[in-house]
Amino acid sequence: MGSRPVVVAAGRTKFGEHYEKQPERLIEEAWLKASGEAGLERKDLEACYLSDYFLPITNKLGLEEGFLSELTELHVPMDVVRSFSSAFSNACNAIQAGKYNLVLVGGIEKMTDRWDKIRDDLMLLEDPWSYYAGCTPEANHELMFRAYVKRYGITGESLEKLNIALAQVSVKNHLNALKNEYAQFQRKITVEQVLEARKAARRPLGLYDFAPISDGAAVVILASEDVAKKLTDKPIYVLGSASATDYLTYPAREDLTGFVVSRLAMEKALKIAGINLWEIQVLELYDQSTVMEMISLEDLGFCPHGTAWKTVYESCQDYKGYYRIGEKKLFVNMNGGLKADGNPLGATGGAQIYEVFKQLRGEAGARQIVDDKPLRYGCVLELEGFGTKGHVHIFGVEGA
Amino acid sequence: MSSEPIERRVSYLGDRLRGRRCQICGKEYFELRNYCGNCGRKSFGKMEDIDFFYEKGRLELCTLINEPTNKFTKLGSYIYGIVSFHNGKIRVPGRLTDKIIKDAEAIDFSSMEGKEVVPRFRRRYSVDRSEIIPTISLAFTFADEYYPHQEYHPAKPNKEYDVPGIVGYGVYTSRFRIREGSMERAVPFIDEDAITAAVEAGKLALIHSGVDSTLIGKVYVGSESNPYAVKPIASKVAQVLKLGEEDEDVQGVDAVDTEFACKAATSMFKDAASLVNYPKIGASYAMVIGTDNSQAAPRDCPGGELDFFVGYGGCAYIFGKTDVIAELEGWYSCTSDTPDFWRRDGEPYPMHGGRFTGDPAYFKHIRKAARRLMEKLGLKPSDINYFVAHQPNVAFPVRIAKELGFKEEQYTPSLQVAKFGNTYSGSSPVGLAAVLDVAKPNERILIVSYGSGAGSDAYSFITTSQIVEKRQRQKMTVKYQAENPFLEYVDYNTYRRLKHGM
Repeated sequence: MGSRPVVVAAGRTKFGEHYEKQPERLIEEAWLKASGEAGLERKDLEACYLSDYFLPITNKLGLEEGFLSELTELHVPMDVVRSFSSAFSNACNAIQAGKYNLVLVGGIEKMTDRWDKIRDDLMLLEDPWSYYAGCTPEANHELMFRAYVKRYGITGESLEKLNIALAQVSVKNHLNALKNEYAQFQRKITVEQVLEARKAARRPLGLYDFAPISDGAAVVILASEDVAKKLTDKPIYVLGSASATDYLTYPAREDLTGFVVSRLAMEKALKIAGINLWEIQVLELYDQSTVMEMISLEDLGFCPHGTAWKTVYESCQDYKGYYRIGEKKLFVNMNGGLKADGNPLGATGGAQIYEVFKQLRGEAGARQIVDDKPLRYGCVLELEGFGTKGHVHIFGVEGA
Repeated sequence: MSSEPIERRVSYLGDRLRGRRCQICGKEYFELRNYCGNCGRKSFGKMEDIDFFYEKGRLELCTLINEPTNKFTKLGSYIYGIVSFHNGKIRVPGRLTDKIIKDAEAIDFSSMEGKEVVPRFRRRYSVDRSEIIPTISLAFTFADEYYPHQEYHPAKPNKEYDVPGIVGYGVYTSRFRIREGSMERAVPFIDEDAITAAVEAGKLALIHSGVDSTLIGKVYVGSESNPYAVKPIASKVAQVLKLGEEDEDVQGVDAVDTEFACKAATSMFKDAASLVNYPKIGASYAMVIGTDNSQAAPRDCPGGELDFFVGYGGCAYIFGKTDVIAELEGWYSCTSDTPDFWRRDGEPYPMHGGRFTGDPAYFKHIRKAARRLMEKLGLKPSDINYFVAHQPNVAFPVRIAKELGFKEEQYTPSLQVAKFGNTYSGSSPVGLAAVLDVAKPNERILIVSYGSGAGSDAYSFITTSQIVEKRQRQKMTVKYQAENPFLEYVDYNTYRRLKHGM
């Protein structure tokens, strides 16, 4: 019988524009950081799970496994999937099944190598029919905003507050990224800047509401419990991991004000982990837009539907590093989120897991969460497309 | 890069907005689903075909797109959103078309959300000049603006006629105009071309005629601005309008494009009339369309003189022997090899022979065809209620009408060139439509087309009593389009950009 999968090491590159680097170099950099930390050698790996969305398109790399084999000079089983969370789930399953004891999960994306066409690629991936009708990667976020405002009848002063709350999401994420040396944007922004950008765009959301296009790589080393014990005295356990799927075409979905995949994956993951929602302290959300971060708070169950903006607004009046929900504290997107940390699709989930891993180990440096309660549980939400697929992973420290 | 098989599948569904409905639970899909998600296996064989081509939708939510993806950049800024049909049973993505959004314009989304919209058949996005032109009907306009929503009700015919004639017709021009002096000319929106105008005109003709589209046996499309050198417009029209019986994804209809400068469509009136007159098993109805995004070189270039006159639009006629509104009394055509106007293969714009296009070309052929037909039928100008001539400009049709002995009240109702410009293959057909819009029963109409190259077709039609009752079915009359309050006027540069297209 297999065992619980354990994250023993994680590494990543800086996210951003890496024009000078080949994709292989990025994954190597992330791997060396992770393996160096855990004192691992290439030959210790029994398998590799790699994720990328676009390498065959951006870099004309069809057989990514071959490049990884050459790079590592390994001949172990390797598989390539789309999202980091998919790769991670596959790796978890293999360890749980007792098939492997030590595997590498790597994610890589090189979006700037095709900067002039990547938005078309992103949109076609999201939904061809919406693309044919003229959609952009930003438009559905704005339609969801419109749907939200209409459904909950948010007008006047409330609408103003909602708009400010969404701006604060971005401001908060930029603030967090100041302490993240790997973040794409390490610069402070203001609510006024966010609002100005929306005004300039003449749209519900503007430049500062959206995550950028990025290059980057991330690596996580997963081990079985037995092997993990030999490698680290600060193991981080994968307590629950689940995913769910939905239609490609957002307009055709029943609910336009949220992502059913997030709700389903969270419910399942909590059940597997055997914890309750409010035990989660640190949360990495998939904020492709500020709307997505707000909506996800509702989808995952932290805020009742139609209210997350109030939580954000009130928490950010005197932001103390977390969202205050009733008596609870929720530390969200401590790395800066996709907005400021960057969003190299295939590696993004890796950076999210990296962050929770580092926080739970108390190794997050300047951005380490300081709370009266020791950190025990963390959670990651990764989405694919515009909520077509959702992954939730719940992590816990020893004894959690 | 393109994929023709993908293009075929996407346009097959998207041009007509085809879907399926579960006959058990009523759930609808924008897609040809073989089974229903609610009902599962028991719904196999119980999914019925539906489409939204003649339906009215509702714009549920919208936003502005001012940084489109690469293929949409030529559209500039546009409104994009979610459109629902059948009270929300179906929701599709869509963009608003026929709307020029200015740079500084503030957009109020909530004023647009909730409004009714009509699907419009348009070009989808830009591709290389060598590729298949992608089309789609996930483009919408507001139902209460220029293009009204009209239902299509195929009706059982009431009356059989001995002589074939016009059963219905439709005229389509865009909502954009350029105004110079006393002349207004129709300008296509950037996603329109001769193909989209042909489909629109055919659609309006079906609505007006009440003819069951599956009974149309042949469609002719005459044009000199087909965006393809090889690939018929008529096949697109046949498929989008579902002409002839549909068998799997093939239409049981003959479809052909014709070319003879501006008489490419009128030439086929007699062929269509003859075809429906065939006594054995044949076509009950035939459709003739003249359509052009009339081309002209820019003003400072050779051939640029035409740039003052070219328009945009399509006109469709359905011929048959039931519920006829105008019987075809007789015809006469003449032809000579006269090189007065031409466009060499691969050239974007036509050239013409200056003053040579007048007397030895236009006037000579129209005069001959008109006189010979009147001789054949034993008619004097006073026997004719309306005279319609090809209209390359305002002066020519007036001059020939006077020369043939027609009075102002006989030829003025057909003069449309000052409202739409020269619509080339659609020119005299639009003039005829303007007359049919107002004619009383039992009136005689003489139409004489002219096509450079050169030749003329003269036809005499006599209206029937049914012309009046059918008129109520059509809101998109010539007058409605000429005097519409939602017309938008553009400057010269915008006109050239829109005309050039995506």
